[in-house]
Amino acid sequence: MTNGLARASVRFRPGSFVGTLVALLLGAAVVVACGTLLQTGLTASLKPERYAAAPVVVTADQAVKIERKTGGETETQEQATPERARTDAALVGRLTALPAVAAARPDTAFPLPAGERTPAMTGRGFAALGIAGPGDKLVEGRAPGANEIVLDTDTARAAHLAPGASLALTAPGGTAHYRISGLAAAQRSGPTAWFADTTADRLSGHPGRIDAIAVQPREGVPTTELAAQVRRALGGDARTFTGDDRGTVERPALSSARSMLTALGGTFGGYATMTAVFVVMSTIALATGQRAREFALLRAIGATPRQIRRTIATEAMLVAPLAAALGILPGLALARWWFGQLADRGAVPADVRLDIGPLPMLAAVLLCTLAALTAGFLAARRPSRMRAAQALGDAAVEAPRPGKVRTVLGVLFAAGGCTAAVVANALDGEKAAQTALGVVMCFMVTVALLGPRLAAAAAALLGAPLRAGGAPGSLAADNARANARRLASAITPIVLVTAFCGTLLILQSTVRHTTGENVKAGVTADHVITTTGPGLPAATAETAARVPGVDTAIGLLRTGVVYESGDMLSSAPALGVGGDPARLPKVLDLDVRTGALADLGRAPDTIALSTTLSGALGAKVGDRVPLWLGDGTAVRPAVVAVYERGLGVGQALLPRAAVASHVTAAYDSQVLVAAAPGADRPALAASLGALPGTAVTDRAGFVAQADKDLELSGWANTVMAAVLGGFAAVSAANTLVMTVIDRRREVALLRLAGTTRRQVRHMMRWEALLVAVTGLAVGASIAGLTLVPVTRGVAGSAPHVPPMLALPLAVGTVLLCLGSTGLPVRALLRTRPATLGTARQ
Amino acid sequence: MARHRDHRTDGPGTAPFTAAPFTAHPYGSAPRLGAPAAEPAIELRGVRRVYGSGAATVHALRGIDLALARGSFTAVMGPSGSGKSTFLQCAAGLDRPDEGQVRLGGEDITTLGEDRLTKLRRSRIGFVFQSFNLLPSLSVEQNVLLPQRLAGKRQDRARARELLTRVGLGEHASRRPGQLSGGQQQRVAIARALITHPDVVFADEPTGALDTTTAHEVLGLLRQAVDSLGATVVMVTHDPVAASFADRVLFLAGGAIADDLPYPTPQTVADRMIALTAHPVGAAA
Repeated sequence: MTNGLARASVRFRPGSFVGTLVALLLGAAVVVACGTLLQTGLTASLKPERYAAAPVVVTADQAVKIERKTGGETETQEQATPERARTDAALVGRLTALPAVAAARPDTAFPLPAGERTPAMTGRGFAALGIAGPGDKLVEGRAPGANEIVLDTDTARAAHLAPGASLALTAPGGTAHYRISGLAAAQRSGPTAWFADTTADRLSGHPGRIDAIAVQPREGVPTTELAAQVRRALGGDARTFTGDDRGTVERPALSSARSMLTALGGTFGGYATMTAVFVVMSTIALATGQRAREFALLRAIGATPRQIRRTIATEAMLVAPLAAALGILPGLALARWWFGQLADRGAVPADVRLDIGPLPMLAAVLLCTLAALTAGFLAARRPSRMRAAQALGDAAVEAPRPGKVRTVLGVLFAAGGCTAAVVANALDGEKAAQTALGVVMCFMVTVALLGPRLAAAAAALLGAPLRAGGAPGSLAADNARANARRLASAITPIVLVTAFCGTLLILQSTVRHTTGENVKAGVTADHVITTTGPGLPAATAETAARVPGVDTAIGLLRTGVVYESGDMLSSAPALGVGGDPARLPKVLDLDVRTGALADLGRAPDTIALSTTLSGALGAKVGDRVPLWLGDGTAVRPAVVAVYERGLGVGQALLPRAAVASHVTAAYDSQVLVAAAPGADRPALAASLGALPGTAVTDRAGFVAQADKDLELSGWANTVMAAVLGGFAAVSAANTLVMTVIDRRREVALLRLAGTTRRQVRHMMRWEALLVAVTGLAVGASIAGLTLVPVTRGVAGSAPHVPPMLALPLAVGTVLLCLGSTGLPVRALLRTRPATLGTARQ
Repeated sequence: MARHRDHRTDGPGTAPFTAAPFTAHPYGSAPRLGAPAAEPAIELRGVRRVYGSGAATVHALRGIDLALARGSFTAVMGPSGSGKSTFLQCAAGLDRPDEGQVRLGGEDITTLGEDRLTKLRRSRIGFVFQSFNLLPSLSVEQNVLLPQRLAGKRQDRARARELLTRVGLGEHASRRPGQLSGGQQQRVAIARALITHPDVVFADEPTGALDTTTAHEVLGLLRQAVDSLGATVVMVTHDPVAASFADRVLFLAGGAIADDLPYPTPQTVADRMIALTAHPVGAAA
């Protein structure tokens, strides 16, 4: 089949394939890493613990869904609810009536902050006892009455409590004293207190709605039959889970971790793969171009274009699978590290394992091989199509200008990038951030296509000052002008590094900067009450307001809303504001643009929006906006105000009463306190600190309402920048080394003509600087074009470029260019010029 | 193996300076090995080649008529820009003339498609270039066998060995080109050019990168290929000494044949070259 030429050339000169090998290896590593994360996202599961004895678990859909009809197809959009979605307690009755069901137990959990004698506990209704199986039962005493509780034996023993003892407990629904009526079996999930079911319903903060229903079958009923009956009985009112899927109900963090991993592996993986393909293809094109003489000779002595193409393709086939296979281990290491970091950050439950399967590896090998093959065929087109005579003549000289098709495509991609940037301008927060990489990609392709033209322009522009730099400088200028294509292949990866790292890192720094500025300017409270526990009950703000010397005390309940913008569902952080919203300006200056925050209290269905969110929704004061609250409940509140400082505080403000029953745990995270004029501040702080379970700080203690998604995506951005930037940096170095080594004849000629080593080194240094400066300039322009609209969408401000970020990036790029040019030049200069000249090509 | 170098003692040729078409046997008395007025190995009829257009038009060849007999050794000389390279490329099927015909062994190759032309080069034409004749990744023997390998034919290793022995490299068959000297590499190229029994071997400045002694060895080998193997060789050169190894020297000037010198010696060739440079040929104007 093959004529063996490829095998011979790979075996004879493995050195010339090292560049390609490195590019492919790194590409495969990135693909394996992203693929493994994606696979983990798709398959991650946890064995149910609490629900192990309940074969069927029923719960509400933990996502907001909308359907869009596009053409004939119905497209479903989904967004996970920021808070726990709950189901109607009445469903329990419906399920209990089923013939297959022995017991359908409602399950609701609410956190109880640590009390004087008890640790932080989980509060539950007494009906939930028994979910864990026959052993999960009362071991002492009796069921709790209205003002009674049952404790688990471990907790009771540790706290030296016995039935009959009395203790104060705080729940989302309020604080009260309870008598211990009995003790129940210890729980795997930790300290637990069971309340009478009606009490639990009230204390949970969301009366009438429950987290889940655990269904246990009658003797001998198989799970499939049970599930089928349950499903029929429910209709579309809730979802039914069996097997390991029950684990996601038990641990809602698992499903958010799964969607996060899927997004990370899929979206970022997509971009990383594109970059990898891009780098691999340009490396192979360069390597093939460098061997033009060989192919010209082959053409002259009778190799058909087909044979040339096949030889190049075979070479790719020989190198690619090997390189990709070598990339698997580093890829797995990357995935492991990344996954570990996510777990450390709490984005992934600690007991979820990385799912390492053969599929990502296979995909990496296939993809790399395919990319190499395509690149080989494309690169072979020129040498194979050329007439043999042209080939011989062309071999030594620069290839002609880029073709028309290439130019037109390049211009199209540039236009596409600009359009995408304009679209991003109209988008909001997260979505705008997500478009950033797409915009960068468009411009990157442009650079790849128009590279030679760009390089020629840069050479013309920078040539004049170079010529002032003596013989080496003017030689460098001439080389740059005469070899635009070679220059372009060196510049492209530098642009890649700068654009990627710049965009991702500056986007993040802008968000952080704006968040800091907003909090600094926005929080005007004198004191901030925080807690180390699960949160502050609603009463804390009311109590604080009555402390002498306090003018205003407003509790903030952090939650989120889901909204639809541009046919897409997104979630945004929101605040439930307790107390009198009219007094909000005393503690929070949100820079209200239109409307008044005071109106927030007039009716329960009101909302104030940040300019970002109001822009995304296209809403103004007076409009009613369709939204979903934290648990997925659809609402249409009226907009009463639009304010500027959203980032770091919250993109929407709602009355606390409107959101309290739609959150996972209805506790305030902070209470903001403004002192009355002339109040004794330290004394005030001391008396506030006396409130149970609280800590008091000044306004610096306000913890920015970190948009969890943005924060995580910020960190992810840094990792992506590191991965893509590192990848691009290695390929830039790779390319530069390849181009320098290819110039051994030229260097020999220069040396023979009397150029000193110093002059050669200087010439190369000037060229490296030219590459670095051009690459940085183009990369920075791309980053700028991308960032201006995106940061306006995310942060409502211009990109914030911290010098401590930009400077190292620029210096690093220059050093990279100098290093990867300087080292091979030194190696070339170590050989005697006469030897160099006759050296084999 | 009749042809001997002592023909050169006959003195400078007296072939008329002419722009008229050459016939198959421009100097009738030249003895030809078993060539009974046969077809010429290669024949050019009114070959023209123009590069560029408008003001930048270059007439590289202005109508070449020529026939070269089998078993002949022809040198092509001329000042820079005289059209030597274009002549060689057109004659060898590396380039396509704009007008006229090139007939190789009686077959018109100007009408062939790129693929047919490639296959023709592979089997019926041998090449020796000034440098970079060999693929560095292949051994000497594999380089010699490359045309057969590309043709997918059985590789005649015995013949490769024989040719390598003839050029004095019998022991170096398994070496890589990088391990050989420049002269040795050229000799391998000659062996490769001969492996397929080509109609014509084209040599483009084959000694351009070699020192005098090595150059003589290589030229001697080309001479031998003609004398003892009956090959037909066309060599472009600028070196009068190299040209003197040929049976006949064609001088190109301004894209046309300006002179034709049979039985050349270094001196006669040099004299003609000087004359040509001093009095540019009117026909080319």
